[in-house]
Amino acid sequence: MMVNTPTFALFFAIVFAIYYLPAVSRSARRQSVWLLLSSYAFYALAQWKMLLLLMVATAVFYGLGLWLQRLIDAGKSRQASHATTLGVCAGIGVLLWFKYFDFFASSIASLLGLLGLGVTWNALNLVVPLGVSFFTFRLISYIIEIHREHLRASSDPLEFAAYVSFFPSLLSGPIDRPERFLPQLRVPHPFDRQLAVDGCRQVLWGMFTKMCIADMLVRLTDRVWAAPDEQSALMLVVAALLYPIQLYADFSGYSHMAIGVGKVLGFQMARNFNYPFLARNVAEFWRNWHMSLTSWITDYVFMPLNVRFRDWGKVGMALAIIINLVLIGFWHGADWTYGLFGLYFGLFYIPLIVSGAFGKRKKLRPGWHGCPKGGDLAKMVANYMVVAVGMLLFRGQSLAEVGTYLHGMVANGWSVGEFGIHPFCYLSIVVMLILHWTQRGTEHALQLKPGRLWNHRAYRWILYYTIILCIFKFKGEAHQFIYFQF
Amino acid sequence: MERKEIYKQLEEIFCDVLDLDEVSLTDATCADDIEEWDSLSHIQLVVSIEKAFGIKFTSQEIMKWKNVGEMVDSLQAKNV
Repeated sequence: MMVNTPTFALFFAIVFAIYYLPAVSRSARRQSVWLLLSSYAFYALAQWKMLLLLMVATAVFYGLGLWLQRLIDAGKSRQASHATTLGVCAGIGVLLWFKYFDFFASSIASLLGLLGLGVTWNALNLVVPLGVSFFTFRLISYIIEIHREHLRASSDPLEFAAYVSFFPSLLSGPIDRPERFLPQLRVPHPFDRQLAVDGCRQVLWGMFTKMCIADMLVRLTDRVWAAPDEQSALMLVVAALLYPIQLYADFSGYSHMAIGVGKVLGFQMARNFNYPFLARNVAEFWRNWHMSLTSWITDYVFMPLNVRFRDWGKVGMALAIIINLVLIGFWHGADWTYGLFGLYFGLFYIPLIVSGAFGKRKKLRPGWHGCPKGGDLAKMVANYMVVAVGMLLFRGQSLAEVGTYLHGMVANGWSVGEFGIHPFCYLSIVVMLILHWTQRGTEHALQLKPGRLWNHRAYRWILYYTIILCIFKFKGEAHQFIYFQF
Repeated sequence: MERKEIYKQLEEIFCDVLDLDEVSLTDATCADDIEEWDSLSHIQLVVSIEKAFGIKFTSQEIMKWKNVGEMVDSLQAKNV
């Protein structure tokens, strides 16, 4: 069920109406139970066959958490470490089995084939549970945070299950962390008008970027990627330059909608994007892109590696970052293109580490008439180019296809093909990028700063209606969210 | 070493590593309180502290710290 559909609106209306009934909203537990039932219904509507897996995984990790807590309380640190390792392996095991088993088996078979051993692998083609990459990461972080003593194990199975399956973020994140989310389930959420209004604005902005930008650009990028060898170099370059914007509009659009829906229910969820196209280098870009995943991997992979490699200086740091980014790449799927995608970005960190620029966070300061300074703008554009090239590895289905694409960019002619994009989409992109700059420091583009204009209710509603009308008038054909496949 | 003395030395290390003019550390100070203190500078801080006090932390100790107070507890446990 896509978030921007009438079916979801109907589903949410029912959830909302019961969630805020006085008899329910007075009790945190009743609200959590209702959220849990709603989340399981939501998951069942999307993929009922895998609901049992979600329930079993939740039950296993709930029990594991209690066991781990008992070991920590008893001062049995060695056994607690073993229990944590077991939990991490169980979580990764679920991921490996459903997402990566065929990939590893076929890679080993290919390797053995190269060595002259005739081994073939018949793919199992397992059905991948929706949201598996997201809910397993929530489960793993729960166990690690208990072990680090940043969190006590939840004694309420329903509360824990409500955290793991929270429907706005169940299928595509953000990956909420237990130490921030579980406490929110322990207090009742009476209707918070201010938070709900902000959530509705965020949903509206997410719908706009998804439906007016991502769903429109996909027409061009899908057509170009369907047969890159038949496209002119110009079309290949344009599609490559537009893809990061499409991916951003799609995924940040989803994230804004999910976070907005969470706010209407009274929850503050993890942030996922912070105007990433203002980044002046790849380090800034990854700090502001898919933040809930990058911070997860930073805390649980990069930090332990970096601590272990700390005596190796810059070499240790570079190694930790490259491993980190390759893992981020592979998190997206079982293909070497994703691994290379991570490696590509990892290599761009090396000059930053060597020069010492990596650790320094230079604030963006406005220049002439509040515009970005020339030097900053040039760095943003250069970084965008680096990102656009890296995203080819993300978008391509295989290394061969990416190779064909890159070859076409230099070898094919420069004829102008059909773009098939409504001019309003280009205007929307320009507006989105301008809002990147003007709204930096806010959580989303429609978090209106108090001022003479937006203090008037009439102007605010004119803005909302204009956006709604634009969505109806200029939306592209509905496409599944790109990150649903992960 | 007295807790007060440890704090004094830590403040010097924080200023040096994080490029701060001055910093006032308390038991409750955590990474959220100092903008320049992120996952990267944290490792640089750890290395500098280990050098300054001539000790070595375990990975588990480092990962468990929630604030400066716990960092100082670890230092005192090593009899600095």
